[in-house]
Amino acid sequence: MKVPYNYLPMQFADVERIISEWRQLISTTEFTLGPYVERFERQFSEYLGVKHCISTNTGTDALILALKSVGIGNGDEVITVTNTFYATVGAIVATGATPVFIDSDDRFQIDVDKIVPAVTNRTKAVIPVHWAGASPDLNALSTICSEHNIYLIEDACMGIGASVSGKPAGTYSSVSGFSLHPLKSLHVMGDGGMTATNDDDLARWLRTYRNHGMVDRDHITMWGINNRLQPLQAVVASIELESIDKTIRKRHTNAKILDSGLSDLSDRIFLPERKQSNVENFSLYMGLFQDRDALRAYLEHFDIETKVHYPIPLHLQAAASNLPYTKGDFPNSEKQAEELLTLPVHQYLEEEHVQYMVKKIHDFYD
Amino acid sequence: MRGPIRFVDLQQRFLDEKLEILSAVEKVCRAGHFVLTEEVEMLEKHLASYIGVKHVVGVNSGTDALMMALWAYGIGKGDEVITSPISFVATVGSICHVGARPVFVDVASNQNIDLNLIEDAITERTKAILPVHWGGRVANMPRIMEIARKRNLVVIEDAAQAMGAYYDGIHGGAFGHASCFSAHPLKNLSALGDSGFLCTDDDEIANKTRLYRSHGLESRDNCLFFGVNSRLDSLNAEVLKYRLTKLNDIVKKRRRNVELYREHLDTPYVFSPPEDSEEYHAYVMFIVQADDRDSLQTYLERQGIETYIYYGTPLHLQPASQQLGYHNGQFPVAELQCSKVLALPHHQYLSEKEIVFVCQAVNNFYST
Repeated sequence: MKVPYNYLPMQFADVERIISEWRQLISTTEFTLGPYVERFERQFSEYLGVKHCISTNTGTDALILALKSVGIGNGDEVITVTNTFYATVGAIVATGATPVFIDSDDRFQIDVDKIVPAVTNRTKAVIPVHWAGASPDLNALSTICSEHNIYLIEDACMGIGASVSGKPAGTYSSVSGFSLHPLKSLHVMGDGGMTATNDDDLARWLRTYRNHGMVDRDHITMWGINNRLQPLQAVVASIELESIDKTIRKRHTNAKILDSGLSDLSDRIFLPERKQSNVENFSLYMGLFQDRDALRAYLEHFDIETKVHYPIPLHLQAAASNLPYTKGDFPNSEKQAEELLTLPVHQYLEEEHVQYMVKKIHDFYD
Repeated sequence: MRGPIRFVDLQQRFLDEKLEILSAVEKVCRAGHFVLTEEVEMLEKHLASYIGVKHVVGVNSGTDALMMALWAYGIGKGDEVITSPISFVATVGSICHVGARPVFVDVASNQNIDLNLIEDAITERTKAILPVHWGGRVANMPRIMEIARKRNLVVIEDAAQAMGAYYDGIHGGAFGHASCFSAHPLKNLSALGDSGFLCTDDDEIANKTRLYRSHGLESRDNCLFFGVNSRLDSLNAEVLKYRLTKLNDIVKKRRRNVELYREHLDTPYVFSPPEDSEEYHAYVMFIVQADDRDSLQTYLERQGIETYIYYGTPLHLQPASQQLGYHNGQFPVAELQCSKVLALPHHQYLSEKEIVFVCQAVNNFYST
């Protein structure tokens, strides 16, 4: 039995509907923003329950634009985690601001207790990440940020469909960023991103800045950039949005099988707590597995494809060599990096695939 | 003769190329890989060979290509970049985006940077010259490279509109230290959405920008520096590979239509800068400078003839330029040109009859 991690060929095996909509799009020649992009932005803001959704070329850009929209740049500090995709930090660096790392907790989310000690008079924002499609303690984060007068900017790139206390990921912030990159819960056939905000002024700024600063064809009020969602991709996004609830439900089902199937191996496997107040989208099903590398090789031998997100925490990457951190500074995320393993739970796996994984993992440890 | 005479060719292109375009995007769909795929790599190789450069790096847009070129050469805060105020806003936006200061120099009668004014604009803060190949006319690059060599400056060509254009037999974008192209839908080589690419012969610059466009990742788990995400979309790459094969033909037909304009426009009130003997203009746009421009535009509209103004405001006078401190009167040639420019329809689907019809309408406007 094969248990693949990448399910894209299955997802896009039948592309007739996409191609037929593309045919229509191409015949309208609306290749720059336009009705297809607007339609998806509207649909997504209804889905989230926010006033404004402004699409971008990528999730990375959504974060960059979110930071810039509230004036963050050179000389500012932004607090975030080391166990995230490179782009979270890349976005901070791209604005000229300085990333300030803090450790993660046992659910692989930002450790809210570590935030206040990291705040200085240069701190402008905290970027918590909805890592793996689970969520940090956003209620605590909201309180801390408002008490210290700093912005809460959620990196909800993996968070579409996740929620905390019934409020969707990305809706706690002044402005937040999402990704539509392949293998997210909602994704397109290439790069795509989205910002979300309820603030009219921020929305206006974002729409203008991503479009060269143009208020109309002949007038620019600021020097903007080109950061637009491809209309071809907006078509894909609208279609995929229709089945997002079904997708997440299936991922849940598969995750639950793993949770209960692996529960008797708690001396070898640590799984993060599933909080009652949270809905996870299981973008990644992650845990800490003893003898991680040997287990990976073993599973691969049986055609079970796994991944590691990520073996080297960001503060230990060559990219961070100019930042004042060394090994030992973030013991939790450093330890986690050694044992993290991501198992596939996507919507194209049936119960038999997941049970097969459970069995093979047991075989390895017995 | 009837109008309407449309300015843009996109719908006709689609009808013409429907089969090939749809099969191109379908091929990528079914392959199931969507990011920096072999389609992008293949396109980059074809472009490198077509343009005559060593490296082509596919990115999200021409604007991004400009920003990345400036970044790659370490240009930023405290630096000055010389350019001209006749261009699309992105030329200046990209300089401001990296934190450098745009220093404007007036244009010549052909709308490209005035070579005689460049040296006087150089200060000890100047790091680069960013000439624009406006409308598809390559600037006098040999002269600009000479100035740059003398004064130890980097040259980054804004070749956004230069596909299919040559100077002295060399393709636009093959002169400078780096050059930046756009394949936005309204260019001669056009995709189905934003697209761009950076060209260079410099191995280090190519390696840096390849990494930079993809988060600074040397491999999945190794991040050499914190980069951005700006990648040429695979769907568009496949479309561009096909359309590159049509480019020469499109440019030839556009040049033919411009020849017809030069033949049949017969009024002293409309000036269209001729080509120098070294220039092979690609005519992304055919722009004339016309007296009573606004009334002419309205008159032509009534005859069913669609025209566009590229652009009515020179970049130093945009509201966004206020903080740069330039004012009216500083660049008189550019300022005058902006009050007179009008782009006439000239795309490859227009027939001789239609071009002659436009010329007659223009001639009539001034004779009455």
